[in-house]
Amino acid sequence: MNLLFPLSPLLVTGFGALLLMLTEAFGTPRVRAAAGEEVVDAGAGRSGELALGAAVVLLAGAVLSVAVWLAGPAASPELKLLEPWLVFDGVALFMSFVLCLGGAFTALLAGGYLPEHQIDRGEFFPLLILATLGAQVLSASGDLLMLFVGLETMSLAVYAMIGLRRGSARAVEAALKYFLLGSFAAALMLFGGALLYGATGHTDLRGIGQAVASIGQPESTVNAGLVLLGLTLNLVGLAFKVSAVPFHMWTPDAYEGAPTPTTTFMAVAVKTAAFAILMRLLLTSFGDERAMSWGAGWPPVLALLAIVTMTVANLIAGRQESVKRMLAYSSIAHAGYVLIGLVATMRSPIEGQASVMVYLLTYTVSTAGAFGALILCGSRGAEAVSYDDLAGIGRRHPAAALVFTLFLLSLAGMPPTAGFFGKLYIFRAAIDSELYWLTVLGLLNSLVAAYYYLRVIVSMYFREPAPGAPVATPMRSGLVTGALVLAAFLVLAIGLAPATPLAMALGSLTGG
Amino acid sequence: MLELYLPMFLMFAVALGLCCVFFFGGQLLGEKKPSPGKLQPFECGNDSDGAQNMKMSVKFYLTAILFVVFDIEVVFIYPWATLFKGLGWVGFATMLTFIGALIVALAYVWKKGALEWEN
Amino acid sequence: MSLLGNVLEHYVMLAGLIFAIGAVGFLIRRNVLVQLMCIELMLNAVNLALVGYNRVHVGDMTGHLFAFFVIAVAAAELAVGLAIVIAFYRLKSSVQSDEADALRH
Repeated sequence: MNLLFPLSPLLVTGFGALLLMLTEAFGTPRVRAAAGEEVVDAGAGRSGELALGAAVVLLAGAVLSVAVWLAGPAASPELKLLEPWLVFDGVALFMSFVLCLGGAFTALLAGGYLPEHQIDRGEFFPLLILATLGAQVLSASGDLLMLFVGLETMSLAVYAMIGLRRGSARAVEAALKYFLLGSFAAALMLFGGALLYGATGHTDLRGIGQAVASIGQPESTVNAGLVLLGLTLNLVGLAFKVSAVPFHMWTPDAYEGAPTPTTTFMAVAVKTAAFAILMRLLLTSFGDERAMSWGAGWPPVLALLAIVTMTVANLIAGRQESVKRMLAYSSIAHAGYVLIGLVATMRSPIEGQASVMVYLLTYTVSTAGAFGALILCGSRGAEAVSYDDLAGIGRRHPAAALVFTLFLLSLAGMPPTAGFFGKLYIFRAAIDSELYWLTVLGLLNSLVAAYYYLRVIVSMYFREPAPGAPVATPMRSGLVTGALVLAAFLVLAIGLAPATPLAMALGSLTGG
Repeated sequence: MLELYLPMFLMFAVALGLCCVFFFGGQLLGEKKPSPGKLQPFECGNDSDGAQNMKMSVKFYLTAILFVVFDIEVVFIYPWATLFKGLGWVGFATMLTFIGALIVALAYVWKKGALEWEN
Repeated sequence: MSLLGNVLEHYVMLAGLIFAIGAVGFLIRRNVLVQLMCIELMLNAVNLALVGYNRVHVGDMTGHLFAFFVIAVAAAELAVGLAIVIAFYRLKSSVQSDEADALRH
């Protein structure tokens, strides 16, 4: 049985994580401990090479995802053996590509950021790969059990990645908050899963879907109340993970307190994986005509979530003084746009799903780039945090300011960047589904959002730091620069040739 | 129906009664001659000393955490062991992979010095 | 039929009750260790519900299997959680989540 090739995106991350763990532990630290200091970690002084190793593993995962995608999951009938546990179809491979890409960006950014800010801890990189593996499993899971295991693998690694800077009260606090709310959300989802199992007798998503579709028929024994409660609990749990308002309270704090590469990973991969499984859960288990109808199904709930999420997040984001916190709120707002795409699957399932997939890809490259540019603009003791810190960067470090501008324009949805087409497809799918007012609200929100993105650009180019104020000094790191060049290339490439990712997403759904 | 449970309830009652007899019987019948030496908290013959809520070294937590994590993995080995024959070579290979991952984790923990009691 | 009437409903009601106690406890208590215990309580309620439901969905052991995984993952979660709590305690000398106020704006 030839499962090695079709499963290679998962195998390479899984075994890569174990290998990197051993490499990290059995290597010799490059830094000597001064007398009386804490014992130096085995990974100390080796962040650069470990980051490179992690990036290679994750990029290999991304490349293999594309390779398996090109060969076509249908070419490997052995994959059916893994169902219903893992559904490694076109969508899962597309998501696996996006997740590995996000993980690789994080690895490169961390390779520059961690030594610069003296968080020289090698554990970060194995944890990062394990978190990516969890995210891949989560997005490919076809069973509540795998969903839970993938979710926890991802979350546990991320909790540790946040609390990496043990001496910093802010980092530990961020880890504590995210841990408490994350485990609470996981427990809610788990109870929801138990209720779904009780009502339908299935834990595989397709089996649940068949049982749910039978509700209302005379011979059906499925308890509709239990199903509704189970779905609600699962939605709440996933809304926590994608940080949709009103389940977003932890997001700004956790994003701000975490080391910036971890923030990048949370904004990029965790959100993508949670949206991937949300889409799969809704369309597989609750994809029958009644559950997807406006009158008796989940679309109006998600539409309401989308509106509240976009509006609240954009209004608060404009009032932030910290750019990192502003980007945190911006990531909440983007979750709102993705929710519009999910609602659009109601009447045009293929276009809706494809728009969500493309949006997650464009959001991943733009957000990773924006956080990366923020990392590049700061150095030890002079981290770029607020708008004031960024004043005059355009003159002092034109290259950093230029890429930052590019990523901000992409996040704002300006042509010809990737972000523009992400939004375009989402809104087009919404119009196809006759969700006109939702589209209008989404567009209005994009205008509001443009304000705070432009404010950063104005700070960088048209303002000078106040005399005597501490200025952020850009750091030098080949890894961070490499990540930014890759992200900028992808943002422009997707912006100039948007048909390719769309065709890939559509092909994943139709099997073509 | 409920009479099926009668033996169980009887056993509960007997157990509870026996406890009460021993406990209160000792208190009622025993002779008491308190003296300051007897009333002191017992601590291996030494005079008691130090704060009541003793600060524990963090290495106890570390060891306990590692113990819990590794200990609970037996939850997967136990069902496999009971169905060992039926699962055949596929089951064996799967379990070998699982234990292999655990061994990697153990090697990591060991090398990181988390198992050192000193220092 | 079972010995004491509809036993399944009793199990599920008990599970729901324990889950609710855990959830309410998590929301109203401010001691992080108690909050951790509440999460464990919620997970154990889930286990009870899963195993209870397996009595009606006979034919496979899905519910039991699921419960095993919940137990194992809960242990790992607790390990990470306790490590974070210890780090928090070292900085703040307290396990009250109210003390986590450095990030409020």
